[in-house]
Amino acid sequence: MLPADCSRRLVAELRDALDACAERQRQLERSLRVSRRLLRTWEPETPAAEPAPGPETNEEVPPPACTPSRQELKELELLTQALEKAVRVRKSMSKAGERHKALSLKSGDAATSASTASAPSRASSQAGSQASETKPPRGAHQTTVPARGLPEGRLPSVGDRTRMARGARATKPGPGLRDQQITASAAPQAPEAFTLKEKGLWAQFSSTQTSDSRDAATTAKTQFLQKMKMTSGWPGSGLSAAEVEAEVGLLRKACSLLRWRMEEELSADPADWMQEYHCLLTLEGLQAITGRCLHRVQELRAAVAGQQLKPWPEGRCPRASMPCEGRTDSSWSPQLLLYSSTKELQTLAALRLRVAMLEQQIHLEKVLMAELFPLVSTRDPQGPSWLVLCRAVHSLLCEGGERFLTILRDEPAD
Amino acid sequence: MGRRRLRGHRGDAVGALPEAIAALSQTLPAGPSPEIFRRAKFDRPEAAPALWQLLFRVLSPLPADGASASPASPTSPALEAQVHLVKSALRSQGYPRRALAQLPEDGSQGSRELLLALAWLLARGPLLEQLLAQTRVRLGDEIPLCECEALASAGPLPPRQEADGPVDIRHLQWLMGKLRFQWRNLITSQQEQCALLGKIHSYTRGCHSDRSLGHLSVAETELFRDPEGGRQLLQRLESENARLEAALVWWRQELVFWKWMDTVLGACPLEASQPTFLPRIPTVGASELELVARELQALHEELRGVAEPRRVAWEARAGGWGPEWTAVQRASQEAVGRELATLQRAWEQGEALAQTHGPRRLVKRDAGASGGPGLRAAELIGVLRSRETCLEAVLGRLQTRCWQELTRLAGARPGLLWILPPGR
Repeated sequence: MLPADCSRRLVAELRDALDACAERQRQLERSLRVSRRLLRTWEPETPAAEPAPGPETNEEVPPPACTPSRQELKELELLTQALEKAVRVRKSMSKAGERHKALSLKSGDAATSASTASAPSRASSQAGSQASETKPPRGAHQTTVPARGLPEGRLPSVGDRTRMARGARATKPGPGLRDQQITASAAPQAPEAFTLKEKGLWAQFSSTQTSDSRDAATTAKTQFLQKMKMTSGWPGSGLSAAEVEAEVGLLRKACSLLRWRMEEELSADPADWMQEYHCLLTLEGLQAITGRCLHRVQELRAAVAGQQLKPWPEGRCPRASMPCEGRTDSSWSPQLLLYSSTKELQTLAALRLRVAMLEQQIHLEKVLMAELFPLVSTRDPQGPSWLVLCRAVHSLLCEGGERFLTILRDEPAD
Repeated sequence: MGRRRLRGHRGDAVGALPEAIAALSQTLPAGPSPEIFRRAKFDRPEAAPALWQLLFRVLSPLPADGASASPASPTSPALEAQVHLVKSALRSQGYPRRALAQLPEDGSQGSRELLLALAWLLARGPLLEQLLAQTRVRLGDEIPLCECEALASAGPLPPRQEADGPVDIRHLQWLMGKLRFQWRNLITSQQEQCALLGKIHSYTRGCHSDRSLGHLSVAETELFRDPEGGRQLLQRLESENARLEAALVWWRQELVFWKWMDTVLGACPLEASQPTFLPRIPTVGASELELVARELQALHEELRGVAEPRRVAWEARAGGWGPEWTAVQRASQEAVGRELATLQRAWEQGEALAQTHGPRRLVKRDAGASGGPGLRAAELIGVLRSRETCLEAVLGRLQTRCWQELTRLAGARPGLLWILPPGR
């Protein structure tokens, strides 16, 4: 049995780790539910209906690749007839579609003035929806069905604009499907138009960051901060708990980097005296830097002690409520992460988790070392529980809790 | 609302101040009305609760994505808890005025102090930019890349019932095993999610109006399926646009606000010069500091242990070397100095993984496609692999050190055979 305070600390650490893991799992489950639900509409239908991967890469490809096979067209027609019945049930959804279209037409205008990309983008969305017709035929139908309930007056207007924009792309399989394609593209246009407008606004941000008025504002802010400091009666060493924490993080990194460098030097074999000298100087330099870091630690200790920092509620603190500060300075356009295959994405995600897991393991290892070794050295080696403790400590600290050693009494053979 | 002092003072900037404050309050999440700001200048008690709530919202990390629907969720804590957290957070960030800590916990007083606190936060860093980036409507798919995101989305942690009393070490072993199992589950789930995302991205190829993206994300595909959700998304985008426009107005007008804040500060009574002492309680940070101190101390000892004998041996050998030796010596010293400076910069200037910070939208693109902006997964994989190797080395080293220490301690009881488990 471990002493109470030690137990409490260790259990708390391990439970923190478990909670963090559980939280990640919860978020993953949420995303998984959504993804599975989306794919259910594609996958249960025969996967054989999917055409060759040709259309994926190039929409300019001539008709044969884009046009679905005769058999697929027949299936689509059958499905369309079946779904027409469902339209009556979905009258209310048609209203939603109408509003979408109204908004898209309105904001489409706004977007055109804001950015010139809207015209070609609408064109490509036509091509896109066509491709989407061929790839997951059933899926697209669900959204085109409400559109059939719309007044006929709307369709031609959108159709005209799009037909003009499309021009030479005359690879539509049939008139029946064409209407559906046009209206299918209308639904996502509204948010796309908004995102275009939004991109314009974000772009304006980066331009406002650098104007002259910003300098005046910055000066005013600095002066304000100084006045705030002067009016307070607090002596304060000028260090906040958040800053201390940040420095501790840096020092931790420093320690591991210094150690790594030391081991590199120690493992290298100096070929001549010059290299030996180099090695000696490096080791002494590392020693000096470590000394300076230790000095910094003393200073931080004094600051923490002198500041009488109030504790966080319930001993648990949200780390740096404004993380990733560096990001906000860079451009406001959304950053992309490009991957080329599912395998690659899986490798990336698995590696990321592995790195996080290793970091957690290292932290736990250090905590366990700090708590358990004193116990082993202070407990009576001849006592009954000492061996049990040693075995458990070995397993936890040296084998990551995965394997156990065996202890045998070395009896002399008679 | 009686006093109209502002009009007399500011001359042509009269209209600008209310406009600036209105813009600020619209940009902030849970921003109170401009009237609250005005009342806060005169320290009116009715303005206090709104400002406590605003500061709470600004200072606490955002809940996970699922809660994005309602900003004022029913599970937000009571005013007292909010007051407590705001005080702790401000103290931890180094808020210089003592008056805040002395405000009553029921949140009924102190609106002027809270207004000063808000201004202090705004002045210190890019607060608005960070808030806007946090609440930005994200249509793309993401996989969690950087640690900050994982922590930020965890939300405020509920207080846990700690196990009091001594615990068997087998309980710890059980917890470790449970942790290992959970990680394995996590990795499997993540692999499945990646596979599903890959499929959705392939199926929706060509559907996106933005050619550089090429395919839909899960959120956008949902838009196709669910017009109701689409309406909600539109609303969110609309409100985000409104906030962005307000923020632009604010940045044009903020000088007026700062001049006004000077007057607010002037209206405060000066604090007494001798501080009252708060009870000192060891913080969580202090123990981390101790851990680092111990590590650095151990490293220092080791370095001294290897460097000193070498120096002695060297001095003994380098006795009668000629004058060209000093030139070589100096060159070596400079070279070593440069190397060590580079090493120091490595931890002082932030991680090499800086580019993984911040959310990134996943986009599937063929390997042969020409470049454009965006981080390639292959690069990131390379960086992560080297980090993985580094961490594995660190862990291995720690475990070896433990083994050596245990061997030393086991010497206290001779006459035993310690049979190790089959090798890793």
